[in-house]
Parts: sequence; C-alpha cells; structure tokens
Amino acid sequence: MTARAARAAHKLNRRHLLTALGAGGALAYLGPGARPLHAQTTAARYFVGVYMPHGMAREYWVPRAGFDISYENSSLAPFDDANTFGKSYADQLLVVEGLDVKAGIDGGTTGHDASRALFTGSSQHGKNASIDQFLALEHGLGRETPLASLVLGVGNSAPDLGQCISYAKGGAAVPKLIDPSRTFAQAFAQLVVGDDPAALERVARERRLGKSLLDYWNADLKRLSARAPESERDKLEQHAAALRELEQRLDPQLNGCSPPSAPDASTYPELLAYGGGEPYFDTITNLQIDLLAQALGCGVTHVATLFLADLSRTHLDPQLPDDVHIDVAHRYTSGGRAGGGDPASWLPLARQNRYAHGKVARLLQRLDENGILDQTVLIALSDMGDPNRHSSRQIPALLAGGWGGHLKGGRHLDLGAAGTPHNRVLVAAQRAFDVDSDTFGEDEDLAVTTGALDLA
Amino acid sequence: MRSTTAACWLIALALGACSAPSTPPRESAGPPIAAAQQLLAPSVRRLSVAELSAAASELVQGDVDLASALPPDARQNDFSRSLTQSVDATTLKQLDDAARAIAAKLPLPSEVDANALVTTLASRAFRRAPTDAEVADLRALFDAGASGRAPRDGAELVVRALFGSPELLYETALDSALSSDELASHLAWLVSGLPPDAELRRAASAGELQSGPARRQQALRLLHDSRARFLYRRFIEEWLGLNRLRALAKSSDIAADFPSLRETMLSDTEAAIDDAFITTSGSLQALFASGYAAPNRDGLLQQESFLATFAHEDSSAPVLRGKAVLERLLCRKLVEPSELGIDLVLPQPDPHTTTRERFAQHAERTDCNGCHEQLDGVGFTFENFDAIGGFRSEEAGKPIDSSGHITLDGVTLTLGNSVDLSRALAASQELEVCAARQLVRFASGTQSSAVEDDFVAATRRLPDTDRTTLIGLLLTYVEGDWFAKRSLQ
Repeated sequence: MTARAARAAHKLNRRHLLTALGAGGALAYLGPGARPLHAQTTAARYFVGVYMPHGMAREYWVPRAGFDISYENSSLAPFDDANTFGKSYADQLLVVEGLDVKAGIDGGTTGHDASRALFTGSSQHGKNASIDQFLALEHGLGRETPLASLVLGVGNSAPDLGQCISYAKGGAAVPKLIDPSRTFAQAFAQLVVGDDPAALERVARERRLGKSLLDYWNADLKRLSARAPESERDKLEQHAAALRELEQRLDPQLNGCSPPSAPDASTYPELLAYGGGEPYFDTITNLQIDLLAQALGCGVTHVATLFLADLSRTHLDPQLPDDVHIDVAHRYTSGGRAGGGDPASWLPLARQNRYAHGKVARLLQRLDENGILDQTVLIALSDMGDPNRHSSRQIPALLAGGWGGHLKGGRHLDLGAAGTPHNRVLVAAQRAFDVDSDTFGEDEDLAVTTGALDLA
Repeated sequence: MRSTTAACWLIALALGACSAPSTPPRESAGPPIAAAQQLLAPSVRRLSVAELSAAASELVQGDVDLASALPPDARQNDFSRSLTQSVDATTLKQLDDAARAIAAKLPLPSEVDANALVTTLASRAFRRAPTDAEVADLRALFDAGASGRAPRDGAELVVRALFGSPELLYETALDSALSSDELASHLAWLVSGLPPDAELRRAASAGELQSGPARRQQALRLLHDSRARFLYRRFIEEWLGLNRLRALAKSSDIAADFPSLRETMLSDTEAAIDDAFITTSGSLQALFASGYAAPNRDGLLQQESFLATFAHEDSSAPVLRGKAVLERLLCRKLVEPSELGIDLVLPQPDPHTTTRERFAQHAERTDCNGCHEQLDGVGFTFENFDAIGGFRSEEAGKPIDSSGHITLDGVTLTLGNSVDLSRALAASQELEVCAARQLVRFASGTQSSAVEDDFVAATRRLPDTDRTTLIGLLLTYVEGDWFAKRSLQ
C-alpha cells in the first residue's frame, strides 16, 4: 500500500459513506490513486471546463521551439514547474492557437459576453446546452453520480451574460457555487456521516423522508408538465433532471475514496467581488479547485466547470496594478502575429495570465493525485484573444489531461491567422466521450459548428 | 383625468409621505381600452428571489429574506421577473436548505390540529384553496415527519414539501384565458410583489377577475399596501440597469469607500422614485425632468446612481451613457461593433486631453461614426459628471464641453448638457412608447415585439394621464387582454 493510499484508508476508518449504508456495509475501496472501474475503455470519463479572464499576452504565451514553455516571462511556465506542482504537466498540455469564437461573433456575443459561447458553441440566442451539461445530462455522464455536475466560480455568482460558461438545454445559465463551504455541502456533506448509531439513524430518516418529498414534488411537476406549453418543456425537463439528481444523492454510489474535510470558512469571510471578497480569492480558488478534483476523484460527479475571477482589485500580485481590467488588459498593445505594439504592456498581462495558468496547473496536479487525469478532458479557454480590443478572435486555448488517449500533449498547434471555429474543440471533446456526432453548437453557418479538431 | 388621481391618492396613503389629495379617487374605470390584437404565449415563470422571499414570508407568517440563500436571479433585459428563471439541482437543493430554516420560524400552537395546519399552509403556498387530495398528501407527509417525533418535525416536512413544490415555485398561464386563480396570482405578483391576499382570492373565487375593470380596481386597491413601493423601485432600477451598481467597483483614487457610497446613491434614487410615484403616479416628466433640488441635475439621469453605473472605474463613459439612454429609454437597437466586424479599442488615457477629445476619434472613423454619431451626441452631454456622478466643470485643465445632440420624434435637437437631454426626453413620444414597451417586458417576463407593438398602439389612444404615467400604463396593461389571455397559436 502506498503512503497516500494508507492515509486515505486511515481516513476511511473514521468516516462512513452513505455508500456503506446503500451497499449493506460492503465498501469498495479503490484508493485515490487507483484506476476507475472502467479504465479499460478508451472513452474519457471526466470533463472539466475552465474560464480564464482577460485574454492573453500572445508574446509570452506562444511556446517556443521544442515546446519550450519555461522561457523567461512565459505565462505557461506553471505547466512545467515541478517544484510548485509536483511534476511537469507539459506532456499533457496541448496549446492551441488560432481559434475564433465564431459562433459568438456571428450572433453578436463577443468581448466580455463571449464566455456565453465558449462551452456552448452558440451565441446568447442559442438554446443548446453547454458541453459540460450536454455530457452530464444528455449523454448520460452524470446519470449515475450523486451530482450530475459541479458548476463553480469565484467572486461572482450572478448568472449574467459574461459571467457563466455552463448552460442548460434551453439556454438558462446554471448557477455557480462561489462559496467553498457550499461546494463542500453540495458535493460531500450529505455523503459523510459519523460512526455513531444516532448519526446513522438520522441519515436513514433523511433518506426515507427525502424519498417522500421527491415523490411529492415529482407528482406535482408531472401534473404541471402535462399541461405546460411546448415552449416551456426544456425548463420543466431541467427541473425534472434536478429532481432525479437529488434522488441520486439519496443513494450515492461512490468509488470508496476519502472525502475531504469541510473547508475552514474563517479563511474566506467574504466572497463577492467588489463586496470585500478580493483578498480571499486566492484561497477560495484553491479550495474550489481542490474540492472539484476530489469530487471527480470520489465519483461524486464526472463533470465540472470553474469560472475564475478577473482579479481586479485583489492586490494578490504586488507587481500588478490595482485594476487588472483597466490598467492591464486595456493597456495591452500588441500587433499580434504581425508583431509590433508596446512591449512594456505585454509583461503585466503575461503575469495575470500566469496566475490563471497556475490555477489550471494546480487543477491538473489535483486531478493527477486523484488518479483521474488520464481519463479527464480539460479545456481552459478565455473569451478574448487581444483583451484591449475585446476581440474574440485568436483566443487562447489550453487542452490538457489524457482525454482517454484522444489527446497528444506536449505540443503547440497553430491553426493560423485566418481563424478556426472553436466549436471544433467541443466536437473533438464530445468524440473523446464516444458521442457519435460531428457537430456541436448553433450557428446559421454549419461550417462553424461542424467538424472536429484533430488532437491525436 | 381618469385613474391617475386615484393612484396618486392611494400611493400617497400607502407611503404616508404626503397628504392625500382632497378629491377622493374615482371608482369608475373610464372608457374601455382597445382590445388586444397580439397576445403572449402560454408560459411557466419561476418566481424571482424577491418573490420567493415574499412567498416564504407568507408561508410562515414571518420576515424571510432569501437573497443570500439562493442563487441570484437570471434576468431578461435586467428584469428579475423573467421567463429565463429555472430550477436546477443547485437551486433546488438551496431551496430545500432554505425551507428547513424558514420552517423554524413557523409559529405552532401547543396543540396542533394537523389537518387544519396543512390546509392553512397549502392555502398560503398555492395562493388558492387546496383540494382534498392535496390536503391528504400533505397530511401523510406531516405524519411521516412527526412519526416518533414532535409535531414541529411534521410541520417542517410539510413546509419543505410546499416550498419545493412546482405549484409554489411557478406562476403559470397555461390556457387561452388565465384561470381566476392564475389571474389573482399574476395580479398580486405584478402589482404588489406579494402573493394574493384574502380579498384578491375572494374576487377570484367569485369570478370577478375575468373582468378588466375589476382587475383595474383590484390593482388600485393593492397599491394601498406600502410594500408595493419596493416593486416600483425595482421596476425603475431594473429598467435603468441600476441593479448593476452593486457589482461595480470604482478606483480608490476617486472613491475611498465606494461600497458605502453606492448604497447612499441607491437610497437617494429610491427616495426620488418614491416621490415621483407619490406625487404624480410615476409620471415620466417627474421621473426624468422633475427639477430635483441640486443645480445641474434634473431627474433620474443626473442621479449619481445612474451616472456611476454607466461609467468606467476611474473615468466617465460617454459611450456607455449614450448607449444606456438610447437602448433603455428610447428602446433603440444599436448594432454591436462585432456585428460589423469592428474590433473595439478604448482610447488610452492621456492627462493632457479630455475624455471627449479622446473619444472623438469615433466620429472620425467612417466604419464607426454611423453609430457613434448617435451615441456620442447623447453621451457627451453627461461629460460634466465624473465616474461616480460628481459634478465637474473642467478636465485635464480644460473646461468641460457637454454639448450634444439627439434626434427625438424625428426632430434633431441641439443640447447644452444632459439636463437639456432629460427635458427633451421627458417631453418626447419616444420615451412614452419605450416606457410602455419596458412595462410589458417587466410584466410579461419576456420580450415580445408583437405584443409590445400592440400595447403601444393601444396606449397612444389613452388620455395623457394614463399614457404618460407608469401607474397609468400598469393599470391599462392589467385591464387589457395582454394580461388576461394567451395565444395558443
């Protein structure tokens, strides 16, 4: 037994999962480093989408010859930083350059609004689910897990345009959890009980009454759905899926991992951007990342997204100005591929990019520690290329993890200046989950939504 | 004059902030309004967080605020009354967690009559009398919860059931004509922001709400409730986009404690809105060109809340301010730069030039000046207000030029500053028409151009006092078929 597995087994002795109740006490323990049950398949099993703010400083983002991402001031350096993240993840990183958010551009959803299009492949007028929700609810990746998906953010919980990447079928934004305590409560709290008989009885009662409640709500929703107009079907189906998900939580089928402890809320007394939360964003982000990875590792869910904060007024990096949005992103002056611009404006944006990339690297590390990185499809995108121009062309795209063998990492894929629809990443991602379709998203031009990027 | 005097009188009573006019309100509804030619589609609207708070307060007869317990509202056109609101797993779990907490507020007698309790709770939750079968289902839940425990445990399970019930969560309009219960519910949520009260439910039971004039009278009556003021504040704030202010920051160079300052700004605006409703039933003239006390300020557009919302962190924003006026107050559709293939570039700061000089480059670029001719002509009139709405007479050592222009009702007007703009807007038909459209969006929870066009056409035939006041427009809407009927096409 490895030291890590021994620590996990020790934790299990102190806790019981509801799984133990559901399976008559027979707990299948695989350990955090063990392969998932279906490791023999080549289909990916986990999806993680990340939103990174403020575009990129191309000058310090493009890998150099030999996939050198550790050159001076490189914003991608965290992916090759074994000292900080345990090992280099360069081999599991594909840096894709030359993608445009064409569906967003075609539908008037660009700049700060373009996050709406990143994982839906559609403009704000689209009705399809984002790929995370599609995989979880329509493809069935979340059908048998306690949570169909985990949608997280930092600093802003509003489901407004430009503040979300996860959308349900029909077009409604899926609310983000921005409080690590609530993330823990949603993902783990009800799955962990004490050893004493009173606690076990309490859980059994909760389950019994929970089933009664769900029966009551389901009957009510069924009556309403029978009379509801076709135009409201997606909305009510989302409600029905929510009820099914709550039912799954009553009988969670976990893989026997060791759930984390509840986060210490005193370390982040405020949560909201421009409401006093800024000093705690780094702590909150790390906790959200750790909980996300553990939730996937424990089989609580197979699908998650994370919307990173824009860091304005955080003072987290003393070398960055007070207002990252105005004084960094809107001071960036670049000639792009043609060269030129103001070199003094590149470095601050590269530092901001490096911070975001560091969080993605931490996520890779945690997924790796949970033994699921090889089966994970991780896509990290920004809504803009050149943020000063609010341009949703030439956006930075980082594809990471093993993708179940569908991704060849350690490469820089330059698709050129003409601009390739970013939908092709989403089509490639769904293929990694054995989805038999060549399209993803909505656009009047089928060429935008059709075709997959070759990642192998 | 038709209903405006009545509305003013009622609101004055409700707010208690001014003496009521000596003439009592008319009881008659006046001449019939035009029949609706365009109707909304049937709909299922999930209540907003504020409405869910009101529903929870009603359920347990206590004061419940769920703003921090539930995910924020999904809005349409910034309105929290929105058909885009939905119920996902996160929201449902948080609703259930909230229900446990609010159940603890439910007062219970020492001896609990379970049937009476569940009947009362269901009646409050469903905004109608429950059926026998519904009572039986809830009684079974009460018994399950109380089994081996106290009656409060049974009551908690019933509260959880009711608060998570689609019957409570949604406001429905399912058939070609709203049912009497649906009418009562829609009327209460729209006019007072509260669940239907006993009188409204009585009127529903008697079938009275199928009559437009009766709905109008009920709406007037509901304005008695002082809590209704929150709904009108919300309508104005969401119409103008002031709800965005709490999610904005300002440079510490110009505002040391902006979180406190913005609350003061919003309080000032709420007071102005209250005053306009009390004294004029929300007349557009009073709201936008009322001659409010301070020099250089004449209405809501010169309020710091509006000016700070539509500004950058450290500087004014003529484009944002111009866009807000054109889109929100005049309902004009502007083309996004991306739709024209234009990359947006903000002018770089320069301590030697004014904001106006830096933004003037828009007018020089042929691909930009089509829109910016409109935007800047309006936006520049606000240039004597900085990023937090403070008045300024110079910038970068140069005097402020706040002149501008706008075309209203087909006439191009030259403006000296934004006070001129406000007065021109307040006197324009375009503002009246847009106010009517925005009221339909707020009321319906969606945007339907056909229904808006139809309602606007009907309002053009109304007396001035109904056409130019928000209360008049509201009463016209609830009296008409736009409110009470749906198209099944």
